[in-house]
Amino acid sequence: MNGRQRDKEIIRIRGLSKRFRTQVIFEDLDLDVLRGEVLGVAGASGTGKSVLLRCITGLVPTDRGRVEIFGREMAALSWRDRLAIESRWGVLFQDGALFSSLTVLQNIQVPMREQLKLPKSAMDELAHLKLAMVGLPPDAAHKFPSELSGGMRKRAGLARALALDPEIVFLDEPTSGLDPIGAAAFDRLIRSLQETLGLTVYMVTHDLDSIFTICDRVAVLADHRCVRTGSPAELVSHPGHPWVADYFCGERARAAYR
Amino acid sequence: MLDIAEAQDEGERPVARLDIESAPGGLRAIASGPWTVRSFAEIHAAIVTLSVPRRKRAQAAEINLSGISDLDTAGAWLLNHLRKRLGTNGIQAFISGGTEAQLSLLSVVETNTVGEQAKRPRQGVMPLLGDTVKAIGTAIEDIVRLTAFLGAVTTAAARTATRPWRFRWVSFVYHVEHTGLRAVPIISLICLLIGGVITQQGIMQLKYFGAEPLAVDMVGILALREVGILLTAIMVAGRSASAFTAEIGTMKMREEIDAMRTLGIDPLETLVLPRIAALILTLPILAFIGDIMCLVGGGLMAFLYLDISVRVYIERLHEAVTLQHFVVGVIKAPLAAIIIGLVGCLEGLSVEGSAESLGVHVTSAVVKAIFLVIIFDALFAMFLSASGF
Repeated sequence: MNGRQRDKEIIRIRGLSKRFRTQVIFEDLDLDVLRGEVLGVAGASGTGKSVLLRCITGLVPTDRGRVEIFGREMAALSWRDRLAIESRWGVLFQDGALFSSLTVLQNIQVPMREQLKLPKSAMDELAHLKLAMVGLPPDAAHKFPSELSGGMRKRAGLARALALDPEIVFLDEPTSGLDPIGAAAFDRLIRSLQETLGLTVYMVTHDLDSIFTICDRVAVLADHRCVRTGSPAELVSHPGHPWVADYFCGERARAAYR
Repeated sequence: MLDIAEAQDEGERPVARLDIESAPGGLRAIASGPWTVRSFAEIHAAIVTLSVPRRKRAQAAEINLSGISDLDTAGAWLLNHLRKRLGTNGIQAFISGGTEAQLSLLSVVETNTVGEQAKRPRQGVMPLLGDTVKAIGTAIEDIVRLTAFLGAVTTAAARTATRPWRFRWVSFVYHVEHTGLRAVPIISLICLLIGGVITQQGIMQLKYFGAEPLAVDMVGILALREVGILLTAIMVAGRSASAFTAEIGTMKMREEIDAMRTLGIDPLETLVLPRIAALILTLPILAFIGDIMCLVGGGLMAFLYLDISVRVYIERLHEAVTLQHFVVGVIKAPLAAIIIGLVGCLEGLSVEGSAESLGVHVTSAVVKAIFLVIIFDALFAMFLSASGF
């Protein structure tokens, strides 16, 4: 989309291993994320969904294995190249992770300030644009994160993640802690932004509704690796792993899938 | 018309361009290259300084997008901006040659562009005045709350006194260790150093009057009456008031305190009483250790500067110091302990749901505890000197 090069795999993980002391998190994990898709990463609590996100974004060092993003191996890059690549993705943390000492508008401008040299008026314009795109009212601009509700904090966090028009957006449990209506609205927001901006979305979630409504593909983590990938419908019809079967064919999944 | 070099990590340098040419019926603006946030400043400047060729019949303009390799929200915003800029010159601009995705991005950006930006509320003098009044109100409220809390804790203590088996001995012993035993090294060191410094300074100043040996009297009386207990109380306020607030505050944050209440457990009895009781026991002992270490520090300096032997130093102390000096100092310890314990526990119980609130209350516990201990010490000194001790 947008004429950007269309290599299929935007993230390629091969043979990733990670352990904390004696606790094995991943053993030989493989995962591909395709350009322009919404990938949901599901798994039971403690299977390392968030750790995998942190391994990909470089917040947690990996023990073994290759992580390639945009066709470049992250571990082999100099910090300068790394920085250039890092500005091509945005991350939304669980509770937004907004800087509490800055207003929402200033939060959105942080990446612009750090990475680019833009005139103040342009940054204001762009930040207001992002704010409106994530569905926040203009008067939220000068509020501090502590004055916002959980859902608004997530939206503001998303606006900050989108500040530099990244190609990939990582979302860590975007709908957790939201009421069902807010969660559905957030799902719709992610989908519409993904379509208009041509984003690739990597979404850690265990919200079945999000998986069925907006994910193109789902990757399931279990037994220290990625046991299944496929569209939600495929996983329902051919689970192929006991946890996947429990998860996608249980009561709640049936209600969400309908 | 303008070339914008864009630094790319691949090494190649695609260029964002905006060319204006005349066309039948008006103008044609040809946008090409990557119109992204990285070229924003340059394109923006070019649009602002755009000189539109003055033609009588130039009333329509075509903005051609077919050369754009990459368009993001910033680029789309710039295209809209360009269209508006041409509009102010009386030129009707229309977009041509864009892909479907580009056009939908353009329309999304257009609908989300805010005409009127919300103004940041300005701080005037009146809010400052309001804050001052509010701060005074909070201070008064704090005093009331602390007094009320003292009452609540006293009733809880009285209740426990009638049923001593309900007192949390394990917790009490734990806090005696943590507030008392573990504070001994740091308090000893601080008191030793300050005792030494006081003596040394005394010797230096009294030298002018030829009364250096009186420095020993000075350090003896000062250490026992004021310095030992004050230093100890300040150290304990810093160490333990903050610890109490952090411990109780964390429990409050995780709703453990509410859980206790629903289970019929009184948090005052289980959390507050053992802590305050532990402080009441340990602070006098720590103050005593502090006194001794002050005197040791004084002796060290007397030996170094005045060549006074240990035996002479002790004899001199015996003459200068009476039991009364020691009692005046140490009697303040349990009262300081109550202040420190009350402030620490009350701040802990005032923590609300967030981690920020915990941080704020820990800081304010230390500040208030030290402040109140010093105020109390000053009042006590005034009272005692007025009553002739």
